[in-house]
Amino acid sequence: MKTDNTFSMKKLLKLHLPALLLMLVLFNSCAKEYSGSGWATPKEDYNLVINFTPVVDTLKLSFDSTYKNYFDEPYKVAAFKFYICQFDLINTDSNRVYNVNKDKYFLIDAADSTTWTVKLSAVPFRYNRISFTIGVDSVRNVSGAQTGALDPAKGMFWTWNSGYIMAKLEGTSPVSNQPNGKFEYHIGGFKGVENAIRKPLLLFPFGLYSEIKPNTKSIISVNANVNAWFYNPHDLKIEENPVVTTPGILARSVSENYSKMFTVTAVKNE
Amino acid sequence: MKKKLLTILFLCAGAIAWMQVNSCKKNDTKAGPTPVTFTTPPGFPVPQYSFTNNPLTQEGISLGRRLFYDGQLSKDGNFPCSSCHQQFAAFATFDHDLSHGFNNQFTTRNSPGIFNLAWHTELHWDGGINHIEVQPLAPITASNEMAEDIGTVINKLKADNKYPAQFKAAFGTEEVNSQRMLKALAQFMVTMVSANSKYDKVRNGQASFTNTEQSGYTIFQNKCAACHKEPLLTDLSYRNNGMDLHPFLLDNGRMRITNKKEDSLKFKVPSLRNVLLTFPYMHDGRFYSIDQVLNHYATGIISSPTLDPLLTNKIVLTTTERTQLKAFLTTLTDSVFIADKRFAQPQ
Repeated sequence: MKTDNTFSMKKLLKLHLPALLLMLVLFNSCAKEYSGSGWATPKEDYNLVINFTPVVDTLKLSFDSTYKNYFDEPYKVAAFKFYICQFDLINTDSNRVYNVNKDKYFLIDAADSTTWTVKLSAVPFRYNRISFTIGVDSVRNVSGAQTGALDPAKGMFWTWNSGYIMAKLEGTSPVSNQPNGKFEYHIGGFKGVENAIRKPLLLFPFGLYSEIKPNTKSIISVNANVNAWFYNPHDLKIEENPVVTTPGILARSVSENYSKMFTVTAVKNE
Repeated sequence: MKKKLLTILFLCAGAIAWMQVNSCKKNDTKAGPTPVTFTTPPGFPVPQYSFTNNPLTQEGISLGRRLFYDGQLSKDGNFPCSSCHQQFAAFATFDHDLSHGFNNQFTTRNSPGIFNLAWHTELHWDGGINHIEVQPLAPITASNEMAEDIGTVINKLKADNKYPAQFKAAFGTEEVNSQRMLKALAQFMVTMVSANSKYDKVRNGQASFTNTEQSGYTIFQNKCAACHKEPLLTDLSYRNNGMDLHPFLLDNGRMRITNKKEDSLKFKVPSLRNVLLTFPYMHDGRFYSIDQVLNHYATGIISSPTLDPLLTNKIVLTTTERTQLKAFLTTLTDSVFIADKRFAQPQ
């Protein structure tokens, strides 16, 4: 039979440790709730920057210039925007893939250079490939009202057939048979054969790595080439198809073209 | 001695933790809006709407109600949601085949009643809308309906002298954005439950049908309920019910959304609840009376590759059966719902 005298520090601890732990958990969960509702300073550090530059082949895109596509059709660009999300950083030596910032969506808009820079936080490591989704993943297309980059007020949402426009290219061309020579490509669709969500894998220039250490950053420069929209693997002639604004096989084909519009031009580690 | 010290220590820790938890609770109840519980009517299935992502609150519903009746959501201020969705018509447009929109234009489809949307996963006659929260974007931006830009609506709401405070009451801060507007509208719309008709009272054992109504109910169960499935009185599917392609509207229905031939001329099966209030009928409002609808099912069905198999033999009723069925349909009117002050224009 045990009496009070048999109580030792050890036993006391044994008995009360769960209670103490519970208290700590309660204490902690409460603190978490506060930071969740936004009054703790958010620690939103980034160590990976992707800088996009809208181009037409080798030239920086200007809304005032006339360009030619693969079929020698002259055109001017009036709008060029696309969503990106779901970034993967890859090291092919170790075959490691890191998914970073899963729930971040960015709308890159050629008309607004403040949107060209994407800041992410990655696990410090050495990477030689990057991959990201062009568009908005299917879940976000069916989950009701979204905000931030996905706010429907950004004009990248189809209201009559719910779903995001993954990428947009608008402009004018003398070969278009539409009013004022307009051409308009609003590409989207996330269901079955109409799926226009693409996830290209981008190689780095030979010998370059993205090297992130605990206190360093890596900056990846990526060109987004408008001319990729018109050619390979599918021919898209402005004269034949000046308007693609609904999900479907044609929209999917255009997405397969523009999935090759990105080129990594430089990688800097600092 | 050590034991005493430890006990005191534990007591202190306990007290701190308790105080912390308590202060937490206090803050939550003080700051947050008042939760509302969604009640599923007896015999109804589980609602499809995910309340966990948009918990119902008094303040949220009240904000949604104000938005629903507010002309500021339209370009010229004349077309709030309620212009096409009138409470006395179970939130359809009374006596209009097509409704009116901005700049003297017609809409292209008959305005459906708004009720029991918590059980719908897709909306519109063609099912093009995949979530109730994004539904209002369609009429707000359609050039022949409310004809407004989402960003402009948000700016108008921000400049309003009451909305920022209402957004704060519902969502914690004064920030006005499209997501909050849409979630508030969704909160209001999912609470619009119609389940108080005589038909419901009979189902719940609180009333009984007359003999004629009862005979009509039996006919309904045998000949209509396969598509107009109880208790929602729609199976929410898309079907071709044998109407020809409208020569002017050229509306192919569901095919517009799926791009599939086999969906040509298919439209969502409407609920028969409040059917006497929601005339004219069909997606283009071509029939003004129940009799015209019954004539269609008896003699007017047009055969086509996508015609619903249930209609290949038409639905022929004797004169007596027709009278009985119509008597049953009158029991579907929910006079409590159309007079419910919670859904009326806020004062």
